[in-house]
Amino acid sequence: MRAPERIAELAPASDEIETSLYEVRKKIYARAVSGLFARWRIALVIITQLVFYCSPWLIWNDRQAVLFDLVSRKFFIFGLVFWPQDFIFLTALLIISAYSLFLFTTVAGRLWCGYACPQTVYTEMFMWIERKIEGDRLQRMRLDQSSFGARKFGLKALKHGIWIAVALWTGFTFVGYFTPIKTLAASFSPWVLGPWETFWIFFYGFATYGNAGWMREQVCKYMCPYARFQSVMFDPDTLVITYDAKRGDPRGARGRKADPKSVGLGDCVDCNICVQVCPTGIDIRNGLQYECIGCAACIDGCDQVMDKMGYARGLIRYSTENAVKGKYPDQEISKHVVRPRVLIYTGLLVLVIMAFIGGLMLRSPLKVDVIRDRGALVRDAAGGQIENVYRLQFINTDEHAHRYELSVSGLPGLELVVKQPLEIPPATTQMVPVALHIDPTGLASGSHPIVFHIQEVDRPGVRADEKSRFFVR
Amino acid sequence: MGKWLMLILWPSFIVVCIAEGVFFTLIDPQELYLLGEPIHWSATAVYSVGFFLFWAVAAASSAFTCFLQRTAGDVNRQS
Repeated sequence: MRAPERIAELAPASDEIETSLYEVRKKIYARAVSGLFARWRIALVIITQLVFYCSPWLIWNDRQAVLFDLVSRKFFIFGLVFWPQDFIFLTALLIISAYSLFLFTTVAGRLWCGYACPQTVYTEMFMWIERKIEGDRLQRMRLDQSSFGARKFGLKALKHGIWIAVALWTGFTFVGYFTPIKTLAASFSPWVLGPWETFWIFFYGFATYGNAGWMREQVCKYMCPYARFQSVMFDPDTLVITYDAKRGDPRGARGRKADPKSVGLGDCVDCNICVQVCPTGIDIRNGLQYECIGCAACIDGCDQVMDKMGYARGLIRYSTENAVKGKYPDQEISKHVVRPRVLIYTGLLVLVIMAFIGGLMLRSPLKVDVIRDRGALVRDAAGGQIENVYRLQFINTDEHAHRYELSVSGLPGLELVVKQPLEIPPATTQMVPVALHIDPTGLASGSHPIVFHIQEVDRPGVRADEKSRFFVR
Repeated sequence: MGKWLMLILWPSFIVVCIAEGVFFTLIDPQELYLLGEPIHWSATAVYSVGFFLFWAVAAASSAFTCFLQRTAGDVNRQS
């Protein structure tokens, strides 16, 4: 079909948007940087990864301390055991994470992205490996431009080999959170690793290798939803990484001894270090951009240059929109942290955390469900009595075995036929068949409400009452 | 093509992670039936297959959205 001219005229607009959103990626060769914020990031890489790689190996109560046991449908986190019935706590945890993120973002921008996001952390690790093998920015650029030879092949093979090893170890650790990690480790030699475990180790390993080795800043730019809605949480008092244009411009090269004012220049020497160190390849001097992950590498880079030039640090620094506009000096930024938005986020966060902790502490370690036997409503028992049969589902959520006393009320003369006390093993669901006998003389036929009382033998506070019905012919 | 794959597979992946978590927290895989028969697979297998089924469904929805996003100009243009 031939397109009408008017449509043909209008059509290219969408193409332009698409090409600008998904331009052909230029490979970014981030230059290594050192300084205060780089040290913070390294510290957070080490802390988060120590927690990630070590947690599954810790032991608590003779079991894996942190285990999301999908097969038996129980989550173990140190002293806590979560059951599917505790779904509400997972929800609360997600709300807490979300509000923490909102709060941090409002106060100091993308702290999460710059220091703690797995994408940043693994990219940082993979870039460190890359630097150790291929060298810094210029050496890497030269290597990539050079023709393929034995040296290039060797370096690339070594880099990818180590990347793949780290990625597979990461995948193995990840699966170790869901399958006991010691069993998992033992199943490599001899090779008895289950097909799904193998699959998930490779799947997660591949995702790590792809995201941290190849995708890098593209994940933040094109895939991360948080980057797209971050501006909702920003206000003019939010700390963001800012280039001080008033102080820096006009930019230009000058001799180390030249006085910038006398040559008509600002403090920015236009060395482009801030652009070279940027993992997302932007120029922070163009202002706040959604690609900026708040890693502060440009601050570290610029501070080093300022030191060399003998200028004051902080041409690029954490500051707020209002401070840069001159509404208040940088020293007063801390006075503007407390503001309605921050108070609301903090208030909600504190409320949810309190509800979470309160709920955890009040969680009963005993849950009982009474299920009537569906086979027969009423049966004859010895001595002219009649019998109703029930199944009691006990859930002992505690990590110790407990004994329980069972009693029943609602109909005088009801006799419990069950061996007492009942012992339920630790963290177990157990069905206990229970029969109730009664002499039917004088009882109205039909259903009578009754209540089962379950009392833990050792702790008087732990009890449960469950309603049911008793049928009389 | 890569762009479309990313637009289709990635958002559906995020949705799947949530769906998988909610679905299997509420429903025990041992209580599922396949064509009238109880499923005899291991729990891990059910979780994994469930994950990819959810992903396929969510990806189909994303793909459909992408398909409908084509403008009149895109549709009318001679290919």
